[in-house]
Amino acid sequence: MNTRRTAAGRIGLFIGVALMAIWSFFPIYWMVVSSLRPERDLFSAPTLIPKTFDRELASYHNLLWLTDYWQQFLNSLMVAGVVVAVSLVMSIIISYVISRYRVPGKSLIIGGMLYAYMFPPMLLAIPLLAIFARWQLADNLVGVIVAHCTMTIPLGVWLLWGFFKAMPMHLEEAAMVDGCTRVSAFFRVVLPLSLPGIVTVAIFSFLLSWTDYVFAFVLVSSDSLKTLPVGLASILGSFDARWGELMAGATLITLPLLIMFSLLSRYFIQGLAAGAVKG
Amino acid sequence: MQSFKTASDRRLLVVFVVCVGATLVLILGPALYAIQLSLYEAKTFVSPRTWVGLDNYARIIVDPAFWQALGTGLVFSISAIVLQVVLGIAFALLLNQAFPGRALMRGVAILPYLLPTVVIAITAQWLLDGSLGLWTHWAQDIGFGRPHWFENPVSAMTIVVLASVWTWTPFVAVCFLAALQTVPASLYEAARVDGAGAIMRFFHITLPMVAPMLLVVILLRSIWMFNKFDIVWLLTKGGPLNATEHLPILAYRKAFLQFDLGGGATVATLSFMLLSILLAIYFHFVPLDEKEARA
Amino acid sequence: MSYDDSKAASPHNARRRSLLVAAASGAAVLAAPAIHAQQTKTLRFLNAEPSRDSVAALRKAADEYEKKTGVKVVIDTVPPDDAFGKIQAAISSGNSYDIGTLAFAGHVLILAEAGKLVPITKLVDRHKWGPRITFPINNEHYWYPYDYNFCWLYYRKDMYQKKGLKVPDTWDEMVHNAKALTSDGVFGSSQPLGANSAAQWMSLGYMWADGVAMLDDNFKLILDSPTMKPKVVAYLDMMKALYPTMPPGMTQAVFATVLGQFSGSQIAHAPYAGRLMEVLEQRAPDLADKTGFFMYPDSEGKHKAVNHGYDGWVVMDTPQREESLKFMEWFTENHYIDFLHSAPLHFQPARMDVYEDPRWLANPLIKKHGELVEFMKSILTRKDVIIRSVDTEGPRVDLRPAKMFETYAILEALQNRLLKDMPAAEAVDIASAKYRTVL
Repeated sequence: MNTRRTAAGRIGLFIGVALMAIWSFFPIYWMVVSSLRPERDLFSAPTLIPKTFDRELASYHNLLWLTDYWQQFLNSLMVAGVVVAVSLVMSIIISYVISRYRVPGKSLIIGGMLYAYMFPPMLLAIPLLAIFARWQLADNLVGVIVAHCTMTIPLGVWLLWGFFKAMPMHLEEAAMVDGCTRVSAFFRVVLPLSLPGIVTVAIFSFLLSWTDYVFAFVLVSSDSLKTLPVGLASILGSFDARWGELMAGATLITLPLLIMFSLLSRYFIQGLAAGAVKG
Repeated sequence: MQSFKTASDRRLLVVFVVCVGATLVLILGPALYAIQLSLYEAKTFVSPRTWVGLDNYARIIVDPAFWQALGTGLVFSISAIVLQVVLGIAFALLLNQAFPGRALMRGVAILPYLLPTVVIAITAQWLLDGSLGLWTHWAQDIGFGRPHWFENPVSAMTIVVLASVWTWTPFVAVCFLAALQTVPASLYEAARVDGAGAIMRFFHITLPMVAPMLLVVILLRSIWMFNKFDIVWLLTKGGPLNATEHLPILAYRKAFLQFDLGGGATVATLSFMLLSILLAIYFHFVPLDEKEARA
Repeated sequence: MSYDDSKAASPHNARRRSLLVAAASGAAVLAAPAIHAQQTKTLRFLNAEPSRDSVAALRKAADEYEKKTGVKVVIDTVPPDDAFGKIQAAISSGNSYDIGTLAFAGHVLILAEAGKLVPITKLVDRHKWGPRITFPINNEHYWYPYDYNFCWLYYRKDMYQKKGLKVPDTWDEMVHNAKALTSDGVFGSSQPLGANSAAQWMSLGYMWADGVAMLDDNFKLILDSPTMKPKVVAYLDMMKALYPTMPPGMTQAVFATVLGQFSGSQIAHAPYAGRLMEVLEQRAPDLADKTGFFMYPDSEGKHKAVNHGYDGWVVMDTPQREESLKFMEWFTENHYIDFLHSAPLHFQPARMDVYEDPRWLANPLIKKHGELVEFMKSILTRKDVIIRSVDTEGPRVDLRPAKMFETYAILEALQNRLLKDMPAAEAVDIASAKYRTVL
C-alpha cells in the first residue's frame, strides 16, 4: 500500500470515496427515513431531510407485533447459518481436490455445477419439491437448506478453485515432505493462506441464502416456517401495503444484516488483510 | 497434479465423490426435468401431459417474441455486466487504499448486496413514484417535467440496468478486493522504484495477477445477469409493452401465467443451450487445464 | 514433526463424522413434527386472504372445529396471486392441500379437468346465489364462492359540491367532471394502466358499460368485429381524453396505489370495491363521510357497468376428502358470515341469504354504510347493470378467456393509445391479433 500521495491524489481519493458512499448508501437512507415519517406526510412533497418524525413508529409497531417477523427472522438466520457451514465444507473439499489432484472429467464436474444457474429457479423449485416430498421433507426448512446449497456450492467451488489454483503447490509439498498427509497439509498451510477467499465465500453463501425468495416460497408452506423475504413479499401482496409500512418492512429486513455485518466486518476485513500480510 | 496415492488420499477421494455426487444430482435432476418438460404440451404442473416432441421448439423459434426477448436479455446483461465490472474494480481500488474510516466505507460499499431483491425493487419504485418519488420531484425541480420513468422503454431498461448495477457491483468489488490482497506489495515497490506510475502499475501488475479471479467473476456474473429474473420482474414485469421482457420473464409468463408449461420450459431450455454455447467459447479461451499443461 | 497416517487421520475423520451426525440429527429433529402430525387427523387449508382479520377469523373457526371434532385444521396463507402456484406445487410434490382458495374460474377449470377437485354440488345447491358467480363445470359445482369484488367508481362529494358537479351518466360527463376537478395538486381521475390484474380490474368498466363483448357464444373473438370495434375505439379515445387528468406513473399503479392516492386526497375519483371504504374508515375517517359512489357510465347514459371479481374455495381430491367435505359443510353454515365480516364491505356476499341474515347485518360498518350496501346489492338486481370481466367472457367457464386475461392485450391497447398516441383502430387490431394467438 503506498502511503505517499500527492495532493491531487488525495483529493481524487476523497471525491471517489464520497461518491461511492453516496451511491451505495443514499437509497438505503431514503428507505429508512421514509419508514420513520408519519403516514400522512408521505403524501406531501418529499424533502431530503424529513420535517416530521413519527414518534409512535406506527409502521414498525404494526409490523413487529402483528406479523410473524421474529419467527421469520429466526428461520432465515438458522437456514443461512447451516447453509454457510455446509457450503463451505463442501466447496472447500471439491475445489481443493480439483485443484490438486488429477481428476477425470474435471471440466464436466465444474461445468456441471454451473447448471444450477442456467435455469429459472421457479422451474427448478417445483421438481425439487417433488424430490424432497419423496424423502418426507416437503414442508421443511431442511429442504430449503439443501436448495440453497445448490446455489451456493457452485459459486464457492468456482471462487475457491481460483484461489487454490493461484496458490503455488510447493508450500504444501514442503509440508508433505516433512511427513504431513495432504489433508493435514491443507489445514496447516493452505487454509490460513486462502482465508480471504473462504471468508468471501462464507459471506456470499450467507447472503444468497438470506435473500432467496423462490426456493423458500415453494418449498415451505407453514406460516411458522416462512423466511423473511417470503414474509415481506406477502405484505407486498396484500391490498393495503402502504409505502410507510413497506419501507418499515424493508428496513426491518435490512437492519439485522447491517448490525450483524458491522459486528462481523472486523473479521471480514481481517480475513481480507490476512492475505496482504503474507504478501 | 497428483493422483490418489496414499490411503489418506483415497479417503479424500471418497468424500470428494460423495460431495460432488450429491451436489450434481440435486442440480442436474431438476434441470433434466425442466428439459424433459419442454418435450410435452402441458397447461400446468398438475395437468395431463401430451408428448409433442420438438413441436414446442418449432413453435417458439419462429415466434418473434422469443428473439425480441433474447435481444432484450443481451442488452440488459451486457450493459449490467460492463458497468458492474468497471464500477466494481473502481470501488475495490478505492477500498484498497489506506484512509481514515476505510473499515466503515468497506461496510457501506457492500450494503447494496445485502438487500433482498424485493427490498431494492420497492425502494426503487418509491424513489421513482410518479407523484411521490423523491427523484421524480428532483427531476421536476431541474426542469424535466414529471418523467414517466417506467412508461418509456429506454428509461425502464435504464432503471432495471442501474438497479442491477447498484445491487451487484459489491460482489465484483469484494472479489476484486480479495484478489488484490494476494498481490505481493513487493511487486508494486519494485515497479515504483523502476519509475512506473499508478496507471502503469495497474495494467502491468494488478490486472495480470488478478486476471484469473476477474475472469471467473465475469463468467459468473454473465450467467447470473442473463438469467436474472427477480429484479426485472419486480420492477417492470417485463413492461412497458415487453420492452424489458427477457428470456427468463418470457419463460415464466408462459409457464406460470399463460398455461403453456411446455412452452415455458422450451424457452428456458433454449436459453440454457445458448448459455452453454457461450460457456464453451469461454472455456476455449480460458481453458480449465492451463495449470496442468504447464505443470 | 512427523505424522503417520493413522494418527493424523483420526481427528479429521472424527470431525467429519461428527459433522455428518450433527446434520443427520438436525434433519431428524426437523422431520420429527411431520411424523407426529400423521397421528391426528389434519386438514390443510390454503387461504389467499392475507389480511390479519381474515386469517384470525379462519384460525378461530379452525380452533372451534378442533375442539368440536378433534380434527386439526392448519391454515397456510399466501398472497392471492400466489395461490394457484402454491396449490400446483403442493399437488406436484404429493402433498396436496385439502382445501384451497382460488380467484379465477380458469384455475378451477384446470384443476377440475385434471381430476384434482371434489364436486361439492350438493353443498352449493343448498343456497341461492347471485348472478355470474357459481361456475358449473359439466353440471357439477367444484367451487364455493365467498364474495364478489365488483369494481365501481368512488368520488369526493365535497369536491363535487364545490364545483357544482353532478354524478356522471355518460362518458362526456365523466371526462368533464374529471377535468373540472384537476387542479391544485389534485387529479381528476386515476386509472391504472399497467399490464397487470389491477388495471384489468379497474380500467375496463367504461368499455363494458358500452356493451362491448370480446367473445361470442362460440368463443370466437369479436373485439374487432364491425359492431364492436367502433365501441372499443370510442372507449380508447375516451380514455385518452381522461389521461391528462390522471397522476403520472399509472403504468406502475397497483391496487394499493389507488387506495393510497384517494385516502391522501390526491385524486377526486377512485376505482375500487368495498375495500376503499374500509380503508378510509381506518386511515381517513373524515373522508369516509365525504365519499360517494357510482357505477361506470356508458357513452349514451343507458347502461352502467361494474368489473367482475370473485373469490371462492375448492375441495381438493385427497385421502381426507370426506373430512374436508365435513369441514366445509360446518364452516359454510357456521362461520361463513364471520369470515365475511373480516372485510365486511369488501367481501360482498355471493350467497343471497346472507343479505337478509341478521347476523350479517349486525356489523357496525355494514350498519353505518347502509347506502353503500344497498348500492352493492343493486348491482345484482338492476336490469341496466352489466357485470363483466375478461376472464369470464364467453358462454361458460373456459380456459380461453383465462388465457386472454393473461395476455393483458387490452391494457396494451390502452398503453398504445395513451402513451404512444397510436390511432385507436390500430391499437385494437394489435390487441385482437394477440388475443387470437391464444384462442
